[in-house]
Amino acid sequence: MMEQMFKRLLVYLDGSEDSMSAAMASIVLAKQLGAALTAVYVVNTKALLDLVKAHIFLDAEQQEYQRDIEGDAQRHLNHVQKLGRKKGVDITCLKREGEVTKEVRACISEHDIDILVLGGLSEIHSRRDELLSDTDRMMRSASLPVFVVKDNDDVWDMYESLEDIDGEEMYESR
Amino acid sequence: MNLGDVLHKDLVKVPLTGVTKNQVIEELVDLLVTRRQLPNREEILQSVMDREHLGSTGLVDGIAIPHAKTDAVSEVFVVVGVSAAPVPFESQDGEDCSYFFLVLAPSDHASAHIEILSAIARTTASSSFKRILKAVKSPDELYELFID
Repeated sequence: MMEQMFKRLLVYLDGSEDSMSAAMASIVLAKQLGAALTAVYVVNTKALLDLVKAHIFLDAEQQEYQRDIEGDAQRHLNHVQKLGRKKGVDITCLKREGEVTKEVRACISEHDIDILVLGGLSEIHSRRDELLSDTDRMMRSASLPVFVVKDNDDVWDMYESLEDIDGEEMYESR
Repeated sequence: MNLGDVLHKDLVKVPLTGVTKNQVIEELVDLLVTRRQLPNREEILQSVMDREHLGSTGLVDGIAIPHAKTDAVSEVFVVVGVSAAPVPFESQDGEDCSYFFLVLAPSDHASAHIEILSAIARTTASSSFKRILKAVKSPDELYELFID
């Protein structure tokens, strides 16, 4: 019998609706594959520092935005953990700080991840956008299979079709 | 989210007619409020002015990125303008500013707000981009410069 190829999935969260769909799709995948699921949210402190260096942000602004993003990160991770628990999928939630692509790559390596799950890529409006999107960069630079979730409605249906485990009431994170 | 997601042709104005910092900011806010039919002009304007009072968002080479976090908007907005003549903006290099990128976001969109500000900062730091920017004569040309 063939050995299970995909044992550990990683879903990247950035607070967007697309990344929440990716989280739901990854719960469905983890359940069906019997794989372990990790969710990571990266507080982009590199971008914050760059904005301070460019004098676009004041020091006080940097601290305020960092607190906001950390709060967003925790809220989204809690929500995803609850989505997983509802369907009987334990999710290891990680909050990291730094440059997004670098931190996700480190996470992939440290947790021996087999598949990276990403929310829908932004529409490519120009060649410049391609260079600037973190999600694009992650997809292009990943050295492992990447699962890109594109249709939010279908993903919601797939997630809902999984049997609830604890019948717990869901709360809205935002 | 990337810059192309939030940059819209109807939120680009060339030329701006304001000749002072406050007039330019008001002109950008008014463009947004009119085009998107937002009800709370004063609240939006105050949030941008409050941020300016902490320190000018005028950078170097004639570029300014006024910005604010405000729950008077429910999504990230970028409004771009080029003034007819350089405007005193208390910028870092002491030069007057001609190119303005107003960025507004609600408090629960912090990550997207940072991503958009970073994208504008990176794009406008390029010397070739700045060279082309100086030749822009219309909203269409400015929009095409980003969406090429």
